[in-house]
Amino acid sequence: MADFSVRSDSVDVEQIMRQIRSRIRERRGVDYTEEEIRELANVKLEKFLDPRSVRSDLLDQFRRTKAAMPAPQNFAFEESTLYETHRGIIRWIRKLLNPILKLFFNPNPLIQALHIQSELNTRNAKREELDGLHFEVMHNLVIELTRLGIEVKNLKMRIEAMSSRLDFDERRARALEGVVMYRPGAAAPLQPPAGDNSRTIESDQERRSRRRRRRPRRRPGDRSDVQGPAADAAAPAGETDAHSPEAESRGGHAEPPDTPPDRS
Amino acid sequence: MKLAIAVQRYGADINGGAELHARYIAERLARRADVEVVTTCARDYVSWRNELPPGVETVNGVAVRRFPVRHERVPREFGRLSDRVFRHRHSLADELAWLRAEGPASPDMVEYLARTPADYAVIFSYRYYHAWHAARRLHQKAVLVPTAERDPAIALGIFGPIFRGIRAVMYNSHEERALIEAATGNAAVPGVVVGVGSDVPAHTDGARFRRAFRIDRPFAIYIGRVDENKGCRELFDYFIRYAAVFPRGLDLVLVGSAVMPIPDHTRVHHLGFLPDRDKFDALAAADLLIMPSYYESLSMVALEAWALGRPVLANGRCDVLKGQCIRSNAGLYYESYEEFSEALYALESNGPLHARLGENGRAFFRRHYAWPVIEQKYFEMFARLDRETTRSTAVEPLPGWLARRRRSLPPAQDLLAGLPAGPATGRRTAA
Repeated sequence: MADFSVRSDSVDVEQIMRQIRSRIRERRGVDYTEEEIRELANVKLEKFLDPRSVRSDLLDQFRRTKAAMPAPQNFAFEESTLYETHRGIIRWIRKLLNPILKLFFNPNPLIQALHIQSELNTRNAKREELDGLHFEVMHNLVIELTRLGIEVKNLKMRIEAMSSRLDFDERRARALEGVVMYRPGAAAPLQPPAGDNSRTIESDQERRSRRRRRRPRRRPGDRSDVQGPAADAAAPAGETDAHSPEAESRGGHAEPPDTPPDRS
Repeated sequence: MKLAIAVQRYGADINGGAELHARYIAERLARRADVEVVTTCARDYVSWRNELPPGVETVNGVAVRRFPVRHERVPREFGRLSDRVFRHRHSLADELAWLRAEGPASPDMVEYLARTPADYAVIFSYRYYHAWHAARRLHQKAVLVPTAERDPAIALGIFGPIFRGIRAVMYNSHEERALIEAATGNAAVPGVVVGVGSDVPAHTDGARFRRAFRIDRPFAIYIGRVDENKGCRELFDYFIRYAAVFPRGLDLVLVGSAVMPIPDHTRVHHLGFLPDRDKFDALAAADLLIMPSYYESLSMVALEAWALGRPVLANGRCDVLKGQCIRSNAGLYYESYEEFSEALYALESNGPLHARLGENGRAFFRRHYAWPVIEQKYFEMFARLDRETTRSTAVEPLPGWLARRRRSLPPAQDLLAGLPAGPATGRRTAA
């Protein structure tokens, strides 16, 4: 989510929107419009098989159907099949009368068609054997797809949980950052240390921490243990702002937005 | 100075955008001029049914003269003609038939305006029957407040001569002005971007609103008719997606009558129509205002939110709202769910940004929409027109019977698509 630091009196809405858009572009990778994204999403949904609409007993059902419907018997059909007989005399008479038969009609196209049909039946039987394999592959794919779908859902839920945690942390961090509010009239905001100054600050901090380490443990009842306005006064300006009513107002955003503030 | 204000509907309880605008202007101008409002007896903007008695009455101290509407609108016929003139090649006669079908057809009102003794007639809403006919009849006195949105009606051929032939135009925004100038070529006609002010109370009580309506979580507010045409479907869709991602984020409070189903969601609260006091208290209690509308000539609610120091999240596809957000530096805008979500999150979570935008909104309202500023712009325009007596105005006559029936006009939608779009960011200092 976009985080914009507003440290001056003026804000530029166009610049903020540019930042928002560049962040969205970064996230997407490519600058698609909303319509294009929707279109892409729809295309994907159409192309993929929805595992929920596929039966889990698909393969069993296929096998049962195959068993219930045995493959039909095929036949071989050649040029001489029409005149075939186990009786030799009849075969001879048929051969003899064949020219007369051909005067009435032409049996050749019939013979050819039946021959082709017989060939097709043979091929179809072979394909049905392959279909079994195809169904098995599809079945495995559906199982895999369903498993992946569940896995994706789990991952999505984990991401959502993590993002809401991250969101909460971000808000908390921002609320704490917001407490140290830059006021135009006050001293300039803390700048990153540079050059010799950095060394001075570092050595100051080191000195302070050494002093803290050397300081003896305070006993209860010790006067310096008392906390209050005096202690606050000694704190840096940024920290005192945290207790000021200004910081607690909307501008300072002293509380994370999840808690209901009274901003009337 | 005598002024006539012509508007399609008028009344203390009539809250349409242009009608409320007209009432506010009439009541303000009446403090320094002799104002008479000329209007119809209609209350309903869809049917134009005569519901109020004809004659003269006084509304909030302003004289109002009402005339009956001759025929109610027939939605089917109006829809058929709209389809013809917006989507197909058509004739001028088709456009005139469309204007008659749209209404409110009140020839008596037009006749009265043509004979009005007023120095100027401030005519509201260019697209209605009364405005077109009145502007033609008394073009030398006509000061038009177009309240034009980016819809195909502005590209109809019948309106060009009106915009070019009247005395002056009081625009609501720079985007509206750019659109009208591009569509009608009326750049030579005196014009000024004015808009309208609002009677924002000096003191509001957000805590009272929270107590009264038992809303204790931070919320974004939408004020207006809950209608698909106002972009509410998209708003619900986006907000529900946003709410799923941010379970502890802002709620959405809807104020206004609903003409579409409202999603049953724990974080969407519909309060219905509220009186002004509750409305302003609600705005004061809200973190921000959301304006999801695609078409606005001026959003009074957005101005009210700015007057109360509340930032606005507007639909960026509405040029006017986007332009105002940019010029005021007091609101963000969105054109997709991602932008909606990012912008809403930024407004919700970034206190300093929220505070700066709110402050900018207050300043923008004071600078451009405070009543003294609005009144001054109107009276300056009248004074300018008094001085420019030499400029002759004339509305081009309608072509002959046969020419009017020649189907030579392109679909208005096609013409509109060719008009310049986008916010008028070149004039950042102006309203």
